[in-house]
Amino acid sequence: MSSVVSISQLAKYYQVSEREGGLKASIASLFNRKYKNVKAVDGITFNIEAGEVVGFLGPNGAGKTTTLKMLSGLLHPTSGSVDVLGYEPRHRSHDYLRQITLVMGNRNQLTWDLPALDSFDLQRAVYGIPMDQFKATRDEFIELLELKDLVTKPVRNLSLGERMKMEIVAALLHRPKVLFLDEPTLGLDVTMQRRIRAFIAEYNKRYNATVLLTSHYMADVEALCKRVIVIHHGRILFDGDLSKLVNQFSSYKTLSLSLQNPDVDLSKYGEVVSKEDGRVTLRVPKAQTSQVTAKLLSELQVDDLTVEDAPVDDVIDQVFSQKEDA
Amino acid sequence: MNTIKLAWTYMRIGMLNELQYRANFFIQLFQSAVAVGTGLIGLSLVFGQVDNLAGWSRGELLAVMGVHILMGGVIRSAIQPNMERLMNDVLNGTLDFALTKPADAQTLVSVREFRFWQLTDVVVGLVILVVAVTQLQAKMEALQIVAFVAALLMGAVLLYCVWLMVTSIAFWVIRVGDIVDLFQGLYAAGRWPVSVYPDWLRTGLTFLVPVAFAVTVPAEAMTNRLTGETMLFALGLTLLFVILARVVWLIGLRSYSGASA
Amino acid sequence: MRRYIDFYLSSMRISILSQIQYRVANYFYMIGMITEPVIYLVVWSTIANQQGGIVGGYTAGTFAAYYIVWTLVRNMNIVFTPFGWEWRIREGNLSMELMRPMHPIHNDIAYFSGWKFVVILLWLPLAVFLTWVFKPTFDITWMEALVFFIAIWGAYLIRTMLLSLLGMITFWTTRVSAIFELYFGFELILSGRLVPMTLMPQWVQNLSNYLPFKWTFFFPIETLVGAMSTQELWAGVGMQVLWITIGASFLSLVWRAAIKQFSAVGG
Repeated sequence: MSSVVSISQLAKYYQVSEREGGLKASIASLFNRKYKNVKAVDGITFNIEAGEVVGFLGPNGAGKTTTLKMLSGLLHPTSGSVDVLGYEPRHRSHDYLRQITLVMGNRNQLTWDLPALDSFDLQRAVYGIPMDQFKATRDEFIELLELKDLVTKPVRNLSLGERMKMEIVAALLHRPKVLFLDEPTLGLDVTMQRRIRAFIAEYNKRYNATVLLTSHYMADVEALCKRVIVIHHGRILFDGDLSKLVNQFSSYKTLSLSLQNPDVDLSKYGEVVSKEDGRVTLRVPKAQTSQVTAKLLSELQVDDLTVEDAPVDDVIDQVFSQKEDA
Repeated sequence: MNTIKLAWTYMRIGMLNELQYRANFFIQLFQSAVAVGTGLIGLSLVFGQVDNLAGWSRGELLAVMGVHILMGGVIRSAIQPNMERLMNDVLNGTLDFALTKPADAQTLVSVREFRFWQLTDVVVGLVILVVAVTQLQAKMEALQIVAFVAALLMGAVLLYCVWLMVTSIAFWVIRVGDIVDLFQGLYAAGRWPVSVYPDWLRTGLTFLVPVAFAVTVPAEAMTNRLTGETMLFALGLTLLFVILARVVWLIGLRSYSGASA
Repeated sequence: MRRYIDFYLSSMRISILSQIQYRVANYFYMIGMITEPVIYLVVWSTIANQQGGIVGGYTAGTFAAYYIVWTLVRNMNIVFTPFGWEWRIREGNLSMELMRPMHPIHNDIAYFSGWKFVVILLWLPLAVFLTWVFKPTFDITWMEALVFFIAIWGAYLIRTMLLSLLGMITFWTTRVSAIFELYFGFELILSGRLVPMTLMPQWVQNLSNYLPFKWTFFFPIETLVGAMSTQELWAGVGMQVLWITIGASFLSLVWRAAIKQFSAVGG
């Protein structure tokens, strides 16, 4: 089976004109502009199969949004090729647009002064969704996200999180096969994030949709994505299973243990991260994990011991800081 | 005195800020030129047909146009930007920042913005006025100029009061753009002396939106039409509006604090 | 085609429901708007009266008729502005609009034509008031009324094309307000918005024949106020269709270039 998304050697360079202040300089710049080349995306390659949920990670300005915009046809690549569902996105053919969706956490397209139901209806008309399919999908989503009492309120009276749920409903009413989600949970509280996450997972399951998602919240990525693609300075640093990312990049593991005598000094075994209620957390270099574990078990009275991978957040931080140094 | 110092500080900041964007000056100049051009075309169409309009000669109407442009510049540089900001603040709930400062709130919200380049219109208006007056070959007397400046000042204060009142009464139910449109529409009536208009409209332009005092009266000062009574009347009306605006502002402010509490 | 009709109805419904919530604001706008024609009307009826009752073929009564119809035509002429284009590009809303399987211009046209229904409803009392105050003289045939009804929508479409074209300049440069002002200045003089075209010098009238502006103001107003033959009336509608076609062709050309520009630099 061929991939839903396939990108090859994709690059996007911007010409940014360098402007100096002042009238003279700005008049001069009309005739003789100085340009700076910015490589937003610098030759990336990956494929995504049908039904995959992929986390797209990277610091601000890494090229995530630029890539999403090229995938949805808003930006034309400088070089390389993009293929989504057999279409070249840059043509923005209507058949293509009907099968995808782009959600940006900071944009809204709902009519501010009217209940979301009216915006949904407009969305139906825009995409030419058959009435019975529209009603079924709409009601299904409203139930999944528990929006029943909110859809009749004017959008301006909704909270940020409620509005975001409505945005997502509106963006998925045409049952797109491919979802590009750019920070869909930005600025929302934890409960709301969880709700939206669950909804995306459910949508993915029910419709076998392909999802590419960026998020600042690792919880989103951990809950939704088996596979992650890490991008930095426009290049791919890692592409593979989330667990492998942790394996490959984390330099330490976390040992958590309960001791019969909690007052022992453990600092010779590793870095003590926390110590409360008789439970100690140690940070130990990955290579020495088994060695230290054995030592701990033999030298101390241990009630319970667990070995955990480092939190993904930390790993990601580490990835970027390592590459920054390199 | 504190008030003047405060206003001056804001004005200076606004000025420095705008001086960075010198291209805006040329844009403004260009826009003034377009406005003057269309105004002149309007005048020439009228005087292609007649040699006076309701007793006003071509030169006199040019003077009215000069004052209209001049006062328009005053509104757009000092009054309108402040009122728009006030409306936006109320809309977004950011007015609290202004209310918590140790200064009279009305003063503060009235001096926070200053659009320096809009003063281009003041200069352009003055030039037209001078051209008009020279055409009329009227000899300028010192008293006349004093009366003109006084009338102009009172006119500006009157306009400010009306803006403030409407902003205070209506800002939480109405879109900002619409109030601006309303004022620009009504102010456009000042392009011609108010004596041209039918009674009901003239009354409206005198008492509801005092375009008459903002434009026609100063223009009268420059064309030897002004009487002492009119000046006294203008003074009385100005005082009345200042008090009225203050009262309305305080009521509006109370309802704002009540709503946000 | 069915989908587009469905979309237009849906979008117009949304616009009517939204705008009706802002009736006070809409009224504020309208009161500000009618001062402009009232000024022109007062000035020109004064002139007509000074000249013994008639100037350039217009009496105080027909001037009143001209400028009262003007208020309706002006409302029909309100379209998505160039400033709106500037805003939608700056705020990134255009990106979202481009994701829809439909050209954004359809939404502009549909939304503003829905708004017209609210506007006309609000306009009626004002029209009655102006009629009562200024006592216009009308002599309207059924044919004129029919052509007027078509012509105001023609005017709406022509102006939509023109202002969208103007707005698209924003794709290339952000300092556009001066260009907009210049445009509005030309439009004021050449459309019949300031005075009926017949009061303009001959060369201005000649010039206006080759430009789209007068078909958005002067022509629709004159269908009701003037005395045009049936042939002239329909020829005018034909001219409107011609200008809509020219405008739409230009629009799609410029749009293509604009999108190319937009997709190169990013939204």
